[in-house]
Amino acid sequence: MMLAVQGIDAFIERTQILRAVSLSLEKGQMAGLVGRNGAGKTTLMRTIMGALKPTKGGVHIAGNDETRAPPYDQARLGVGYMPEDRRLVPELTVEENIMVPAWATNIADASSRLKRVFELLPEIARFADRKALALSGGQQKLVALGRALMVGQQLILLDEPFEGIAPALAQRLVEVLHAIKGQGELSILLSESDYTHSAGLIDRLFVIERGSVTERGS
Amino acid sequence: MLRDRSTLALAIVMVALVVAGPFLPAWLRFVGTVALANALAVLGLLLLIRTGLVSFGQGLYYCIGGYAAGVGGKDLGLTDAFALLALGIVASGIISAILGLLLCRYREIFFAMFSMAFSMILYGLLSKSQKLGSTDGFNVVTPTFLGYAPDGANVKVWVFGLAVVLAFGVGIVLHQHLRSGMGYASEAVRDNEIRVEYLGVSAQYVVWWKYVLAAVLAALGGGIQALASGHVGPEMAYWTTSGEFVFIALLGGTAHVGAIISAAVIFEFIKTWVTQISPYTWQMFLGIVLLVIIMFLPKGLWSLLARMRRAS
Repeated sequence: MMLAVQGIDAFIERTQILRAVSLSLEKGQMAGLVGRNGAGKTTLMRTIMGALKPTKGGVHIAGNDETRAPPYDQARLGVGYMPEDRRLVPELTVEENIMVPAWATNIADASSRLKRVFELLPEIARFADRKALALSGGQQKLVALGRALMVGQQLILLDEPFEGIAPALAQRLVEVLHAIKGQGELSILLSESDYTHSAGLIDRLFVIERGSVTERGS
Repeated sequence: MLRDRSTLALAIVMVALVVAGPFLPAWLRFVGTVALANALAVLGLLLLIRTGLVSFGQGLYYCIGGYAAGVGGKDLGLTDAFALLALGIVASGIISAILGLLLCRYREIFFAMFSMAFSMILYGLLSKSQKLGSTDGFNVVTPTFLGYAPDGANVKVWVFGLAVVLAFGVGIVLHQHLRSGMGYASEAVRDNEIRVEYLGVSAQYVVWWKYVLAAVLAALGGGIQALASGHVGPEMAYWTTSGEFVFIALLGGTAHVGAIISAAVIFEFIKTWVTQISPYTWQMFLGIVLLVIIMFLPKGLWSLLARMRRAS
């Protein structure tokens, strides 16, 4: 089991956002987390990443209990996260943005990981020297995905990857995710407000509504 | 490394100043030494500012560096300048590593105030300590240099040379550091802390590490100041000393290590000059300068260079 979320409750200040959420993901599987705005998708992603601590339940990643672990522990375990707002460092170039985790944590095979990222996303290799602030929103999404791939060697969490980008770019993102899935090494959990883009990609579908998650047949 | 223009420029200025040192008037050499001692403390502050933190407590480690050099000569019988500076580095490294564990949890005004509080605690302790000269402080031994004991005024030439090599050497290393993974991680922490954690970097560790580095640099500066002036006093830990370091950082801007060194020199010369012509109003004059800088050059004097480059 790559990811096992077991009965977690999570609060933001005094408001309960997640209610007894459970879901699981096997190695190489891709799952969709679908729900309306405010349903708790981002909160669940942040809880899995350790940015928010659940008040009940547990999060296990690759067999390790990561319920209380900080985000950097999850990242070092090989969990890549692409936040909805991308969060690139604007003053750094595309390549620097992707390489920051490798430099800061002394990843041994950084250059081979970078090569793999550029192979999967040749379009970002073309503007590797451009500063992140000079990119369009869609291009930034691709760079954020590249950065998540740099870190994520086991599991990737993609928070609304198709939100706010042009249809052509969304289609390109689907192709990239297809290619990653085809390699069969990474588990992916991606959230969407509907599954228009991910319908043909996902092995499992989780629906989140008012903080509760149920699994539907894919 | 020398292929980088900034590194080359810093290295050239360093060599030029070391060579020119013996030929400079004594007053100019002294003001320059003090300016470079301050520059070392502000270079440490630069590391913190690049991480999004403003410390009003660099004076704490500046003072520790100065007193370590003083105590090393007075009580331990050391005279070697390198050993005296090393004492300050060790003392500040240990103290900052411990205090940093607490401070790395705080940000913004809380970090600034906490850092100042520790500095003022040291000021209070030193002011009450008869053994360390209370509010008067005490004199520092005349330093030797790896067994060589220069005579008379030559000591100050050697201290100046040491200050130049340390300030510019540290400048060169910091310039490289800011372009390394840890340097980039600092910028990322400043922009958005949680983001760097998603990338596998502990933001608290980054802050702790920068705090310790900043402390060691301030101690080096304090040590040089002590050797140059031959005296240490508790006012080195007073909040106005730390305030001056922040002033220098604002004056030069934090875009480049060269901005910090230049601003430290400009600051010391303005201070010396204004103190000469109007001893009781120099703070007012500096206040006006700061106001003008904030209003017209919020990114410091270094931004003038960028403007000139854009214009040409």
